Amino acid sequence: MPSASETDVMHRLARYAHVLRMGGVSALIVIGLSVPSALGNPYLLSAAVVILNYALCATGWNFMGGFTGYISFGHAAYFGLGAYGTALLINRLDLAPFLAVALAVLIVSVIAVPVGFAALRLRGASFVIGTIAFVLIILLVFQSWNSFTGGSSGMEVPRPFPELTRPEHHLRFYYLYLGLLAFALLLWWLIDRSQFGLRLKGIREDEDKARALGVPTMEYKVVAFVLSAAFTAAAGGLYALWFGDLDPVFQFSILLGAYMVLMALVGGIRSLFGPLLGAVIVGYALEYFKLNYGDTQIHLAATGLLLVLVVLFMPDGIIPGARELANRHLRSGQTSIREQTQEELLAAQRSSGPEPPSQPAFSATVNGGRP
Amino acid sequence: MDSTVVFQTVILGVLLGGQYALLASGLTLYFGVMRVVMLAHASFLVLAAYLAWWFTTSTGLDPMLSMAITVPLFFGLGVVMQRILLSRLRPATLTMMSCLLTLAIALVVEGVLGFLFTGVQRRVQVGYGSAQLNFFGASIPVVKLVSFGLAVFGLAALYFILMKSSFGRSLRATIQHKQAAQLVGINTDRVAGHGFGLGLATAAVGGTALALDATIFPSLHWYWIGPLMAIIVVGGLGSVPGAAIAAMILGIATSVLQIPMGATWAQTVFYLALFATLLFRPQGFFGGRLAQRF
Repeated sequence: MPSASETDVMHRLARYAHVLRMGGVSALIVIGLSVPSALGNPYLLSAAVVILNYALCATGWNFMGGFTGYISFGHAAYFGLGAYGTALLINRLDLAPFLAVALAVLIVSVIAVPVGFAALRLRGASFVIGTIAFVLIILLVFQSWNSFTGGSSGMEVPRPFPELTRPEHHLRFYYLYLGLLAFALLLWWLIDRSQFGLRLKGIREDEDKARALGVPTMEYKVVAFVLSAAFTAAAGGLYALWFGDLDPVFQFSILLGAYMVLMALVGGIRSLFGPLLGAVIVGYALEYFKLNYGDTQIHLAATGLLLVLVVLFMPDGIIPGARELANRHLRSGQTSIREQTQEELLAAQRSSGPEPPSQPAFSATVNGGRP
Repeated sequence: MDSTVVFQTVILGVLLGGQYALLASGLTLYFGVMRVVMLAHASFLVLAAYLAWWFTTSTGLDPMLSMAITVPLFFGLGVVMQRILLSRLRPATLTMMSCLLTLAIALVVEGVLGFLFTGVQRRVQVGYGSAQLNFFGASIPVVKLVSFGLAVFGLAALYFILMKSSFGRSLRATIQHKQAAQLVGINTDRVAGHGFGLGLATAAVGGTALALDATIFPSLHWYWIGPLMAIIVVGGLGSVPGAAIAAMILGIATSVLQIPMGATWAQTVFYLALFATLLFRPQGFFGGRLAQRF
């Protein structure tokens, strides 16, 4: 039990937590808005756009991975479809650039419904293999269908703001990405607090039990899946307009899908800002490796080593790790059951469960003492 | 369509299927002993192919002799990888984390290969490189026959290890039911390590076979991941014979469909078979009772 002074600290913390959180969010907004003026040169600004792109993808991915616990390695498919959808709508139908992005997101969402119903019947290894295979087959189609997609030589997208200089172009897309990211984070936060979110988390913790309790698990999973695909597709659409040149190998790559998983994991998939934090760290590392070791293939090895380190030593992510550390010091005794994983519960059960029969004499007296 | 051409493509399909079967059997072993989806298998295949190429260019000997070094080396690497990396993952998140971890290993292998040997495409030169064999009107390149022979040799060795040795019995018991295997006194952790080594050793044999009849480059492994995963799912995750049968069928199917569809579109057969299996029979077609648990 916490002592009187500790309870006092807890109450004071609870009172200030709201203020602290608001302060943190406002600080984040200020930082987000002022980054471009702090970065001097256009290269750094373009790197910031790349990182925001990753952040939007990872946050989009987290609608699926964070709430339902289904780890998709194939979200690059929706990124690429969003990018190619935008490019095709502009090049073939002469649509206005941002109308094309919106329509591409809509199309990808419609595609994601049957794909979701099919893929979400699977669990575990089959689900992972299915999502990877989905990227690979779309890659194959986009590489081979020359007349429609431009094939392996790629596809160019006209710039949406031809009058802007390159740094101004980066700047505008920085704010576009930032706005979309803020919207994604807001929606994630709202779902996190809603009953819908609670039920999705029920699926994450134990799908069969959630179903037994009356949660329409399949429909819920598909909704989360479609939302997730839509945000990833929006990131892809903006990327097409920003970068202006698409190549199937880079748009539909398992690597991009794995980066989304990695970023969400580094930050922590159960927290709102986890994917954003992960995207900043991993995105920065990726850009750093490419800039410094990009001449040789060793940057791939560096990326791989980073991935190994995260998986082995930080599987829960930074934010949950830090929160747990803070909880241990500040709010001892107070736990939140909702955020406990199956595994932790099992471990707790084991450690508090009946002792292994290492002392037969003891158990014999217990049994003997009862009628 | 000319019947000779069809006959020839079927023969080539069988030869291709043999290679796929050997490689997919390794993947099946990893999945069987640890429930791990091993995305780095194909990158070790390419690594073995590079070692074979390097061995031949620096010594002038036949690339197949490199297996004397690569097979034990890969076995050891597999055991080490399982012991110090994969066994540290938590059981509850094993599937997802093992995917990330093995993808990371694949990236490291690809990066190091690209760094050491550059991205230039390499090709092993052997004396019988351009020879053709006439087989009932179908002309079959000798290198393809040799690499098929290697695959058959590898599969046969694997079969004997799994079916006839006491280690194989322990391995099969571990795949079938880990706890039950522990109850009868099998050290399943050690068996899992050795099973992993055995899987990676198949990549050494397969890589040598690959070096014989293909041009190799560091990013080649991406082309193998999809087909190999399709094979193990169609065959039933965890079933070695299932993987071999599925490999044969899909190998022949792609080879035959190359004539009307072209080489790239024929690859879609793997994915279509994979999706059809996942939709209608997620436990796979030849896996039997074991695969139903996944």
